Amino acid sequence: MAMQDQPLKFCFVTVGATASFNLLIQSVLEQTFLRELRAHGYTNLLVQYGKDGNTLFDEFLRQFPPGSEGQHGLLIDGFDFNPDGLDNEMRLAKARPSEGRVGGLIISHAGSGSIMDALRLGVPLAVVPNPTLKDNHQQELADILQEQGYLIASHYQDVAIAVDRAERLRVQMAKWPPVSKAQEIPPPSLDQVMSDELGFLD
Amino acid sequence: MMSSVLTWAMLLWVLALTGTLCIFAALLLLYALIQSHNTKVPKWRPRNRPIHLLVVLGSGGHTAEMFSMLRRMELDPTKYTYRTYVVSSGDNFSAKKAVDFETTYLNQKEDPAVSERPPPTTGSYSIVIVPRARRVHQSYLTAPFSTLSSFWSCLLVLRGLHPDQGPLRSESMHSPHPDIILTNGPATAVCIILAARLLRLWLALSTIFLLGSRSATMSNDFRLRTIFVESWARVTTLSLSGKLLLPFADRFLVQWPDLAGKRAWKGMRQTEYAGTLVD
Repeated sequence: MAMQDQPLKFCFVTVGATASFNLLIQSVLEQTFLRELRAHGYTNLLVQYGKDGNTLFDEFLRQFPPGSEGQHGLLIDGFDFNPDGLDNEMRLAKARPSEGRVGGLIISHAGSGSIMDALRLGVPLAVVPNPTLKDNHQQELADILQEQGYLIASHYQDVAIAVDRAERLRVQMAKWPPVSKAQEIPPPSLDQVMSDELGFLD
Repeated sequence: MMSSVLTWAMLLWVLALTGTLCIFAALLLLYALIQSHNTKVPKWRPRNRPIHLLVVLGSGGHTAEMFSMLRRMELDPTKYTYRTYVVSSGDNFSAKKAVDFETTYLNQKEDPAVSERPPPTTGSYSIVIVPRARRVHQSYLTAPFSTLSSFWSCLLVLRGLHPDQGPLRSESMHSPHPDIILTNGPATAVCIILAARLLRLWLALSTIFLLGSRSATMSNDFRLRTIFVESWARVTTLSLSGKLLLPFADRFLVQWPDLAGKRAWKGMRQTEYAGTLVD
């Protein structure tokens, strides 16, 4: 394999800890998605598949064992969850020349915790709202953050397209965290509100 | 004939008496309600007075957002001298995050007992576990019962009587009640804020009855102030806990402009747009 000559490029997929999201797992194990990753120079795919995503993942490995045509020359790995958090896994998608790694991509469910973690790292992020969740407000957050240039909002069936969109986002990503624009009356900070309620003399 | 008139008259008297009593009780309750709802905090707290901050850790995303906010506001442990973290049972993620935050961010010394079953009560913070009000996907039918037991637990926490709290540093703190409560949902936050309001109502009532006790009237205004921060994930609509708490929280902060200026009913305090508070 030609893996040694080319720089490592990670795609990390996470569905979070609370709810399972097998529709997304299925999409990122599809041939079209893997082909797209390969075409954009990715070398590794790491999937955090959640509580009951292992059947899908194992099924994929049975059908396409490591090194087979179906893996498109990628190193594909998976795990259910990391109780210590996913910070280390997310960092794999961050460029680090000393370890021969270029900037990759994080594909995440639209939970606010995962979104914040990824945005803090400054890695291109594609967010996929889970349509099976009750009271689906995740879409709103994904949409407005896409509008503001922080990330890509994608349907789970369109993750293959998101790979290409991520390259464009990489070039011009909005800076996180947002600073509130200069206004006539600046919004109060949390510290101010808390001090107010405590009734300090000042 | 004669006796029946007598009983009728007596019945009337009893009715009138209970009626007046009821009206009196209602008025008293109303007065206490207004007293406890008074949203103005007198500006006379001395700068260096110790402060007990209570933080409710919802779960998953709520907890992540809470610590994100506390980091971004650079929570000062010398100002908020004692911190209580309320965690729902079974939510190890939140408890762990709290210990992480205390040990790595606030540079508190980790107690060796931390990893053991009973939650730690080290010097300046404690982690308190209350029963879950509603699990993800739990039916709304059984939820009221679990909510009730959670509510009772919250009352104990706010009075400093919860077993997880241990001996509550009575010397440094002027009262068993937290000074300020910071929440961002979901169900446990609702329980804590409602319990805080109930407790404040109770405190207001007891001051009416025990007119003489100066210490109570003095510090009543300072205790159990509640701040609810709507989740960063809510862009155009309030969450269920937000809607429930709109009339009860002293301050209601929102992080997206579309949610600013909402209120429960005319004359009530509005939600305040505070910009993105997470990082």
